[in-house]
Amino acid sequence: MSESPPSFPAQRCADCGLRYGHGAHVCRQCGSEAFEDAPLSGEGTVYARTTIRIPGSDQQGEEPFEVAVVDVGGAESVRVTARIEENPGLGPDDPVEFVERRNGVFYFRAV
Amino acid sequence: MKDVCIVGMGTTEFGVLDEGIKELGITAVARALRSCDVDREDVDALYLGNFVAGMLEGQETLAPLVADSVGLVGVPTMKTEGACASSGIAFRQAYQAIRTGVHDVVVVAGVERMTNAETPEFTRALGSAADHDTDGATGLTFPGFYGLVLNRYMHEYGATREQVAAVSVKNRRNGVSNPRARFRSPVTVEDVVDSRLVADPLRLYDCCPAADGGAAVVLASADVAQSFTNAPIPVLGSGHATGRSAAYRYDDLTTLEATSLAAEEAYGEAGISPSEVDVVELHDCFSAAEIGDSEDLGFFEKGEGAAAVAEGRTAVDGELPINPSGGLLAKGHPVGATGIGQVYEVCLQLLGEHENQVEGAEVGVAHNLGGSGAVSTVTVLGGPSHV
Ligand SMILES: [Zn+2]
Repeated sequence: MSESPPSFPAQRCADCGLRYGHGAHVCRQCGSEAFEDAPLSGEGTVYARTTIRIPGSDQQGEEPFEVAVVDVGGAESVRVTARIEENPGLGPDDPVEFVERRNGVFYFRAV
Repeated sequence: MKDVCIVGMGTTEFGVLDEGIKELGITAVARALRSCDVDREDVDALYLGNFVAGMLEGQETLAPLVADSVGLVGVPTMKTEGACASSGIAFRQAYQAIRTGVHDVVVVAGVERMTNAETPEFTRALGSAADHDTDGATGLTFPGFYGLVLNRYMHEYGATREQVAAVSVKNRRNGVSNPRARFRSPVTVEDVVDSRLVADPLRLYDCCPAADGGAAVVLASADVAQSFTNAPIPVLGSGHATGRSAAYRYDDLTTLEATSLAAEEAYGEAGISPSEVDVVELHDCFSAAEIGDSEDLGFFEKGEGAAAVAEGRTAVDGELPINPSGGLLAKGHPVGATGIGQVYEVCLQLLGEHENQVEGAEVGVAHNLGGSGAVSTVTVLGGPSHV
């Protein structure tokens, strides 16, 4: 039995309903400044992945680490830039699940 | 609308240089002014592209400092910034100012000094072109962004690592004979695919080297261009567009739409199609970037760019020579100087004076791209017979 992953903390524009994975201050579609929580399923798919081996000064010592563009949330998915935990072999179309948001960064792992 | 021409140009070498940021700018501008019959009194404005002088050298206010140092007294100046497209944007602004009759003669410069910085500081400074809150927070670097692009490109189009490596092989080969290039030794496909990983699947020889350098051109309205030189290079079209602000913002990471939008505008203004272009200097900050750029600029169908390079179609003697200068991969990438450096190389081609001359080059394109595909400029230039 596998437990379902934690839900993903997406938001949506309170006026036009456009969904956001990364937060927004102003809706790019309608210009509204009002947003509401609209959590999505934490199930996702890798769109593209890379392994960073030469990091900038803020991530010194963490290398190598995985960064990926992930589609999360199933049918109503949003696309986010995220970190993948300890799965250097993942690539496009591989399933992942949301782990947590830490210091503003979304973390996923292989299913 | 007035027609606009390039009437003078100057550059430093691109490489590891001792001069400071201001000196690189002064040298490039002075050489551009000396290359033509423009007096300092003729110059109406100076626009200068630069990216990280403030962060790496603690020197800002560059445009007026350079202007005053070369004896341009009292003219309006400004610095433009758009990461790697910083001086492409400066060129565009000067072009618009002349086209609309605001100015007649504008000096455009680009300058950057990078090799004096330690790698982490350098990587962090470059990374400031990414969106801090999203891509930046994950630790995604610029090689990382193009690692994502290449990962997806290979997945969608079945391009091989060897085909992609052919970009670096071609551009390093072209750089051998370019005295302005930082790298002047060739590499093989094996060298590229065996070099150390930087941001999978990108390896060291897929990445352009940092460099120091400055480049400048003098733009003038066509009405007065002939009084400054007998070989003015007409600007046939110019485009400037915004793209996506971060990796996750792309529906299709294999197309950086800032480039295709800027190209559409530039080709439209020039009244040409991509098939009429004879020579191209495009933004090959990474091998993967050249492949995508060549498709976004309309030279190849989506997914065919990698095979085109591997088949030699973009070599100096190929059907469409791309980066005969050696590109950023061989010349080096002094970020703020890159856009004008490309324009300089295309001008040499159109004057028939390039070390890797493309026979009969009459129409050339310079393509500059900044950030995560966030901004692009495309410039179409013609031979002197087009004036
Ligand atoms: Zn909205």
